Amino acid sequence: MRAVVASLVSSFGLLWSNWRARLGLVMVGGFIVIAILAPWLAPYSPTSQAFGRMLPPSAAHLLGTTQLGQDVFSQLIWGARTSLLVGAAAGGLVTLIAIVIGLLSGFLQGWVDDVLMLLTNVALVIPGFPLMIVLSAYIPVHGVGVIIIVLSVTGWAWGARVLRSQMISLRSRDYVASAEFSGESVLRIVFREILPNMTSLIAASFMGAAMGAILGEAGLEFLGFGNPQVVSWGTMLYWAENSSALIAGQWAWIFAPGLALALLGVGIAFINFGIDIISNPKLEA
Amino acid sequence: MQRPVVSIEDVVVTYRSKRRHTALTSVQGMSLEIGAGEFVGLVGESGSGKSTLANAILRLLTGGGEVERGRISFNGQDLLALSEDALRAVRWQDIAVVLQSSMNALNPVATVRSQFRDVIRAHRRSSWSEQQVDAEISRLLSLVKIDPKYASAYPHELSGGMKQRVAIALALVLDPRLVIMDEPTTGLDVIIEHEILTDLRELQRERGFAVLLISHDLGTILEVADRVLVAYAGRIVEDRPAEALLNHPLHPYTRALLDCYADPGADQVRITYIPGQPPNMAALPPGCPFWPRCAEAEERCKQGRVPPPTVLESGGMAACHHAAAEVAAVDSARISGAVYVKSSTNPNVNREPVITVSDVSKTYHRERRPVVALRGVSLSLPRGTVTALVGGSGSGKSTLARLITGMERPDRGTIRFDGQDIPRLGRRGLHAYRQHVQMVFQDPFAALNPMNTVGYTLIRPFVNYGRMSSAEAFDRVRQLLEQVGLTPAEAFFGKHTGELSGGQAQRVVVAKALAADPDVLVADEPISMLDVSIRAGILRLLDDLRTQRGFTLLYITHDLLSARLLADQVIVLDRGEIVEQGLASDVIRSPQHEYTRLLLRSIPNPRRRMLPPKAQVSH
Amino acid sequence: MRYLIKRLAFLLFTLWLAVTLNFLIPRLMPGNPAQIMVQKLVGEGPVNPQLVRAVGIMLGLPRGTLWHQYGLYVYNLLHGNFGVSYTYFPYPVMTVIAQALPWTLILLGTTTIITFILGTALGALAASRRGTWFDTTATITANFTATFPFFWTALMALYVLGFVLHWFPQSGGYDAAMMPQWSATFVLSAVYHSVLPALVIVVTGTGGWLFGMRNNMIHVLGEDYVRLAMAKGLPRREIALAYGARNAILPNLTGFAMSLGTLVGGSILVETVFSYPGMGYLLFNAVGNSDYPLMQTIFLFITIGTLIANFVADILYGVLDPRTRRGGVSA
Repeated sequence: MRAVVASLVSSFGLLWSNWRARLGLVMVGGFIVIAILAPWLAPYSPTSQAFGRMLPPSAAHLLGTTQLGQDVFSQLIWGARTSLLVGAAAGGLVTLIAIVIGLLSGFLQGWVDDVLMLLTNVALVIPGFPLMIVLSAYIPVHGVGVIIIVLSVTGWAWGARVLRSQMISLRSRDYVASAEFSGESVLRIVFREILPNMTSLIAASFMGAAMGAILGEAGLEFLGFGNPQVVSWGTMLYWAENSSALIAGQWAWIFAPGLALALLGVGIAFINFGIDIISNPKLEA
Repeated sequence: MQRPVVSIEDVVVTYRSKRRHTALTSVQGMSLEIGAGEFVGLVGESGSGKSTLANAILRLLTGGGEVERGRISFNGQDLLALSEDALRAVRWQDIAVVLQSSMNALNPVATVRSQFRDVIRAHRRSSWSEQQVDAEISRLLSLVKIDPKYASAYPHELSGGMKQRVAIALALVLDPRLVIMDEPTTGLDVIIEHEILTDLRELQRERGFAVLLISHDLGTILEVADRVLVAYAGRIVEDRPAEALLNHPLHPYTRALLDCYADPGADQVRITYIPGQPPNMAALPPGCPFWPRCAEAEERCKQGRVPPPTVLESGGMAACHHAAAEVAAVDSARISGAVYVKSSTNPNVNREPVITVSDVSKTYHRERRPVVALRGVSLSLPRGTVTALVGGSGSGKSTLARLITGMERPDRGTIRFDGQDIPRLGRRGLHAYRQHVQMVFQDPFAALNPMNTVGYTLIRPFVNYGRMSSAEAFDRVRQLLEQVGLTPAEAFFGKHTGELSGGQAQRVVVAKALAADPDVLVADEPISMLDVSIRAGILRLLDDLRTQRGFTLLYITHDLLSARLLADQVIVLDRGEIVEQGLASDVIRSPQHEYTRLLLRSIPNPRRRMLPPKAQVSH
Repeated sequence: MRYLIKRLAFLLFTLWLAVTLNFLIPRLMPGNPAQIMVQKLVGEGPVNPQLVRAVGIMLGLPRGTLWHQYGLYVYNLLHGNFGVSYTYFPYPVMTVIAQALPWTLILLGTTTIITFILGTALGALAASRRGTWFDTTATITANFTATFPFFWTALMALYVLGFVLHWFPQSGGYDAAMMPQWSATFVLSAVYHSVLPALVIVVTGTGGWLFGMRNNMIHVLGEDYVRLAMAKGLPRREIALAYGARNAILPNLTGFAMSLGTLVGGSILVETVFSYPGMGYLLFNAVGNSDYPLMQTIFLFITIGTLIANFVADILYGVLDPRTRRGGVSA
């Protein structure tokens, strides 16, 4: 555990030394702070319908109000919670599935590997977003939890494949054989000798999965396949689109949540850019 | 010397990393000249800057390396000042290269033929017709002893040796004046390496191009080169005709390197090894960079500037304060580091065996094609003795090591240890077995987890096998580190693999194997990845430890000299079968099998120069 | 040859699996389509089971054992019979899809090829001019565009280029006053209407390919054979193309599946925003109207299309990499 922590700390230092990754960390960190402090930062309750409907941006309502008279700016701030929650939860679940399948498949090899790899390749070529749509159409309950599960079920294949090939490459290293000679157990070899050498790859898969999940959730909610009552950037866009906000000149209502999504995405992409450089020094520019 | 083809004057190359804000000057002012048709060898260990220099000539430096100072001229024009287009004309037309690890030097998605064609086209040999081009390619391939039908093959269809030969043929396609070869045969089988170098020397003589051959192995260089340059810590420390260097080496480093070689067939084999580690370019000492390892260092060597090159009356140069004085002394006393002597003895190999291998066979399936690794091999390891398992690549020697240590199972046959058949052991049985049979790997940097510290690595066997707590193991680890010569032990405890030199890392690997207190130690080519100057030190360590602790050693190697030094018994393996075995001194001094003789002939031996054909006639 | 057979076997297997998955999803999921439909009609409140049964029969919901249903399902599938659409009752699903399919095939087919070529070319260029302003501009731009949500980019394009500037139509696949036909004016109108959706897909989709190619190419440019090509005195362009890009494109083809998945998902959103008469918009409407037969068939078609596109990419890989022609080890 100490080695893992040490490697994380030194990896973070390396990340921080790359300007793009640093910018990404600041951006994502900013969103996290906003999400945590939402009750204090937001001027109004995001669901309060106490204001005039479809008001243009003003000093009282920085981004105007919705068709129900809700404050768009407050919704924007509260919406960060949903996106980050989905990103962290679905990203975490996806990474967990990918680690279990990738490591099992890469370490055991033989028929287990064949079966798991076939499963992974299949999951990889089956288009995820349409599958999400179909699944959410059949599931009677709608909500963030369901979306997280659907995103996890459809999103793990790429990570599993990448982790498996890394596992196979690390597994054949002499130091793994050497650990067997030291009398280490299989579990200890996997978790103590091999896994710490995969941290940057796992971090990269997590970031990629989190970004995919955030965009996927927003997409599903934008189409109205989530729970439209939840305050999130996706549902904001759904209501804005359904209320013809653009034609009504409420451009800020559409522009802001999309920009927030894009900026969060860019932040994560920047972090991943830095992780890429750590795991592959050749990319250093 | 005739007018030089290439002359290099005081070149300095520095690598800079923007991200880490570091700068490492790996070539610190090298000067040399290469005459037309001359075969020049440049020898040096890791950190000597030899490959950097080779890359600097054609401006092929990568990884942030830049020539900071100096002049590299070809035919009077300064290559460093040429425009990109003008330089392109010089490349390959006048100077060609064979890269280090040529295994990967051919474009994997193009046929051999097209890799010849693109260079011919690029240099506008358009007067050649298609047929002429093809005929020329066939001729060149035949020249390097490759069947011309391979012109239409892709690189992955060639063996390592064949790729190397193709790379040499490719270098000759435009009839260059100079061919730079950077470790062209490293990683190849010894016998193939020897063949390729012999053929290269012949080709060079016929076609008259000059060669700059770069190698870590002075033996190889002395066999083929007309003139030898010795590099150390980014400088040339000696530059002399090969004969003179061999007979009267002047720089203590050259002498020490020469003393790492000996004739394995002699009655008494005596080699010495250089103490200390190869230079750390990031922290060179003041004065002569070699002084910390030099037996002759005086006060003036340890301070001030690096000794300037002394031009010798007899021709050549040496950069040592002693050099000028010692030219006169014909037979200077040769002293450097500790000496390792092995005389002919009659060890007792009739003791009861610890491990008995009977009729073992193993076949691998590579891309659905069976590759036989071992065919009906039987042998036994007598308790407390050293057995050397000798063979080239593909002989099956490493496979045998993997079978004996239980890393793999044979298709057929038994391997007995203490009444058990090893291939039949389950996971638990193997776990217990490994306490008794330990392994030293070839590449120490691959065998140590880069994430772990030396202390952690060494504590684990004590915890697992000795049922000790980490605190109890701590003391044992300290003793062990001292035993393998890593002192002070405390300094090594918290180090990661990346902070060790090759020799230190291999000592850690040895220590880790000994931590389990094994009965049998299997060492698979433990010195082949190390610098020549520290190899003997590791051999000596293994020998001493064996004497102290009394374990049985199976030493796997391609090198009969080290086998002679270490082993009581020698077993020679060729293409999966044992072709010869017996007492080390018997097998090596009077080999019976043709393959053993071939192996012996292929060992780089500075005292056996490939003399020009004329000279041989006059003998 | 073995490689081809392997890929073909994988294609057939995944096709079968997609078909079976399509069969199983509605049966494994809670709820009964007829029930959901009736619930929709009735709103909140109790549902009459008899009504549900009646609606089920009307919709042709399957009865009998699971195996029997499966056999019937496959039989119908092979005969191009996908049932009747609920929304466009009594039109068969096939008829509805036949009208939408060409729109998506053309839009998505063209944009996939354009994004692949554009992204790969820009990525190769960025890698071979590493550290220059071009590289920095390209990678930072791609960092942004690739993470923009497809639908948001679509909305913005719609607002700026359609609503404010009136350069392009705001919705539909062709002029609403026209009837689909093979005439020059209609085709012109269709092309005009597809420019904006295509532009959005290209702008958002190119970044993924660009990054993949750039990273591969940087890796390849550090290989010994590239250094040897430089030593050979080959022109810069030739090294970048014949040695660099030629090798770097191989891993990019391996990553085809993931990028294609992103594009397919993105195109659904884009079609919806532009009310483009393709499969994505149809799927959106089918889900909104609980038109299960239509929805499932669309999903099946999208999956089959993706599988075939991946198969083509695999074959292309096999053609470009001599190492797969004999033996064949890569998956």
